[in-house]
Formats: sequence, structure tokens, C-alpha cells
Amino acid sequence: MNATGDTWPWRLLLAVILLGMAAAIWGAVQKIDYEWRWYRVPQYFFYKAEDLQKAPFDGQVSAIDGQGRVTAVTVTSAAGEKAVLEVDSASVKVELEEEVFSGDAVGFSSSWKMGPLIMGMWTTIWISFVSGILGLIIGLLTGLARISKNFTINGLAAVYIEFIRGTPLLVQIFIAYFFVGTVFNLSRNVAGVGALALFAGAYIAEIVRAGIQSISRGQMEAARSLGMTMPQAMLDIILPQALKRILPPLSGQFISLIKDSSLVSVIAITDLTKSGREIITSTFATFEVWLVIAAMYLIITSVLSQLVFYMERRFAVSD
Amino acid sequence: MIKAVDVKRIFTGRGITVRAVDGVSLEVAKGEVVVVIGPSGSGKSTFLRCINGLESFNSGHIYIDGVDLADRKTNINKIRAEVGMVFQQFNLFPHKNVLENLTLAQIRVRRRSRTVAEEKSRQLLVKVGIADKEKEYPSRLSGGQQQRVAIARALAMDPKVMLFDEPTSALDPEMVGEVLDVMKQLAREGMTMVVVTHEMGFAREVADRVIFMDQGKVVETGTPEHFFTSPREERTQLFLKQVL
Repeated sequence: MNATGDTWPWRLLLAVILLGMAAAIWGAVQKIDYEWRWYRVPQYFFYKAEDLQKAPFDGQVSAIDGQGRVTAVTVTSAAGEKAVLEVDSASVKVELEEEVFSGDAVGFSSSWKMGPLIMGMWTTIWISFVSGILGLIIGLLTGLARISKNFTINGLAAVYIEFIRGTPLLVQIFIAYFFVGTVFNLSRNVAGVGALALFAGAYIAEIVRAGIQSISRGQMEAARSLGMTMPQAMLDIILPQALKRILPPLSGQFISLIKDSSLVSVIAITDLTKSGREIITSTFATFEVWLVIAAMYLIITSVLSQLVFYMERRFAVSD
Repeated sequence: MIKAVDVKRIFTGRGITVRAVDGVSLEVAKGEVVVVIGPSGSGKSTFLRCINGLESFNSGHIYIDGVDLADRKTNINKIRAEVGMVFQQFNLFPHKNVLENLTLAQIRVRRRSRTVAEEKSRQLLVKVGIADKEKEYPSRLSGGQQQRVAIARALAMDPKVMLFDEPTSALDPEMVGEVLDVMKQLAREGMTMVVVTHEMGFAREVADRVIFMDQGKVVETGTPEHFFTSPREERTQLFLKQVL
């Protein structure tokens, strides 16, 4: 083996295989005669919303100031009340001195709004973020409980982990929303985030436990021999080293969490997946929308992996 | 300084009972250097670890400066701050650089300010001869350097007693000398030391008293001269014949 040899034949082979797979997919799609309507997708990212601007009361148009694309229309009532409405210059429907009545259309104002795909992505991001942070806290505490010598604490943690890992997340979300949510009157967001956090927490607990146990016993002994208390030794010595070691499996868990968050769409939280389903009902662009949704999940998860990769390199200074 | 009375540490498990430390009594005066030798499995390390509470003992008493470790009300962390320990595997904190290794416990346990702790640490690093490595991480140091940092880390707490658990056993032969030199210097300065080691040369040169342990019991105690020239017990003679 020559490790310094050229790698270009292998790069070429990789490119050929990828191109071949792309061609195969393209060929398969040709066969089923699907009409691609990509042009329908962009409007679900951002769209231009037109709001009808109405006269707020009876009166007279006292001024029209056209400044480029936006025009300010001033309506003055008999009592001297003034209202300024900003509308698109092209959509002005009134003239100077014209009598208008309350509710009459003066024109349209337009603005760019975030479409369902962006809103759904935002929902997915914040739900994953909040449940990730909560899951990390739960996981850390449960992981510490798992290595505790106290039988009760250890037992409680073990039961929690066993229950969560032994039941499907979808069922847990249903229980959290329909059962726990009803009993404690929780909103769907709280139920969804709570179910995800508890789910992630159980897996993170096992990762944390393994990480702590992988640190050699000598580290704890050295810290204790210097007179540090158990919590001090944990915080200053064991956990920082364990964190560095568990970063790769932890990032995998967070990526799973982002993907699993798509399940909260079943309790009518409009995340990225549910937005996709809603768009399909109005466009029938099934292929396009699901491919776009997949790409959007991929973007979120790869940003996270890059972030973790960066952190790993930062931590590597002491190696 | 240290007084151990009939200390017993018995491990039980899977139907096997191991009497690791079986009724050891020992008194170490202030400024005394006691070297504990013995074959592996003789309980010398276990006994040493009992002295700072890293290992609990089943019966007996250990008094450090008059405070009984067997007393439930004793704050073990307070005792440990006064009893420095150096391990066979160094056990430096790999995620902290040399200076942070030395300052951490001073700040957390002794409640010193960072500046005071750093000054103290730098003095100690000069003393153990690695003043130029304070920003290095332990993984970049040789075994001998790591062990000297570990000694400095223990000394930074201003301990009254220093315990050494086979400090040179994990070192390459050419690095043993530099660690022993630091330990000899400490002994000359009047530090109270209990050293578990296989370095007979060190025992002969530095020890005020040598203790030979086997199967959890103290077999023979004496001055180095007595020990290496005319040991009384047959077991001691046998051991010394093999190692010397």
C-alpha cells in the first residue's frame, strides 16, 4: 500500500457512481410520467402579501404624497381627525378631495412574508432546540443518578430510561398530549416539547453515564486526594473530560432529535413536516415538496454537525 | 503525625475473602520518611490509600494529626487537603495545562486567589525543575515530567504529609532518577513521607525506617542499615534476595 499515492482514480470512481445513481433515479422518474412543477415551490418560502387598506372613518382625501413606490394617502374627517395610509403607488384607488366612507378601499400595501416552509422550519428548529436543552439537562441528571450508589435514585433513573427506551416515541407523544396533556391541561407545544425532551433525555443519560464511566478512576481519586469534594471533582475534572469524549455520540443524538421532532406533527404542531403535508394538499406537488423538506432537514442537521466538528477541534488542544 | 492502630481492610466477593490489610499498626513522626516495601499483593498500596481515605477500612483507627479517620464525623476532605498523594499513574488532569493542574485545588479547596495560587505554583514548578512547561498539557510531557508535576500539584496544597504510591513504577528507567531526586530533596527539607516503592536504593539512602509487608501484615520494621544488611525474618531475607 502506498499511502501517499494518487487518490484521483477513486475520486473519479466516486463521481461516476454518484452520477450513475442520479441517472438511475432520473430514468425511473421518466418512466412514471410525473410532471414536475418546481415553480410552485418558491412561493411557500416567501410570498408577497397584499393587504387591503381601508378608510377608517368617513371623510375626505386631503393629501396624496407619492414617493416612488409607496404613496401616503391622508384622510381627514369632518371633525378634523386625520389618518395616514401607506399603499403601493400603483394601487391607489382614490383621488385628491374625493369623499370616502368608512371601509372604502384606498389601495393595497404589500410586504414580503415568510411562507409555511420557513415558518415550519423555524418551528422545527425551536422545538428541537428547546427539547434538546431540556433533554441535555434531564440526561445529565439521570446519567449522574445512574452512577449514584444510592439505590433509590439509581432505581428511579433505571426505570425512567427503561420505560422511555422501551416504548415508541410516537406513542409517547400521544400519551403526553392526550393523557398527560388532558390531565394537566397542557398546550400541544408543551406536550410535544416535553415528550421529545424526555425521550432524548433517556438516551443522553446513557451516553453521559458511559462517558463518566470511561474516565479512569484515577482522575476522581486524584481530585479527591487534593481535598476536592465529590461535586467539585465532578464539575471540574470528570464532566469536562467526559463531555469531550461523548461529543460525537451526543451530536448524533441531537441530530436524531431534530429528525424525530417531525413526529410532533401528529398532534397538530405545524412543524416542517406538517407544513409540507399542508402544501401538498393545495399543490399536489408531492415529489417536489418532500424533496425540499428533506433538503431543509439536511441543512439543519449538517449545520449542527459542522458546529460539533468545530467544537471537537477546539477541545482537541489538550490531546 | 500519622498513627495507625490495627487497621484491617478485608475484601469479600464471590465467596472469596481477601485480607488485603490485616491488622497493620504504624506510627510516623513529624519529618520522618517511612518506606514500605513488599511483594505485589502484600497490601502496601491498599494501606497507603487507607491513610487518606481513598480506601475505607473495616476496622481499626488511623489518626492524622490526632483526628480519627474512622470517626464518622471527620470531614475527610479536610484531612485529604493536608495529606498529599502521588500516584503510580500520575493522574494529572489531562484537560488542564500544568499550571491549571497546580492551581485548581488551591483555588477550590484552599480558597486562594488565582494570583496567589499561580505564584505558589510557579515556585513549586521551579523546585521540581519544569518551570518552562507551565503552559503545556500533560500529554506533551514525558513520564518523569508528569510525575514531577504531580508531586508539585500535591505540594501546592501545603500538605503536612506526603504519600507516594509506587511513584516510579510506571516510568522509563532513565526518568526514575529525576523523580527520586525531587523526593530526596523533599525528604531533606523535613517533609513527613510515607513511600511505597520498589526502589531499594531510595529506601537505603533516604528512609528513616523501612517496613516490610507481606500478605497484609507488617513482617519486619527497622532502619535501612538493619534491613539491608541483617534482616531478621526469613520472609524478608527471601524477598531481599530476589530484588537486590
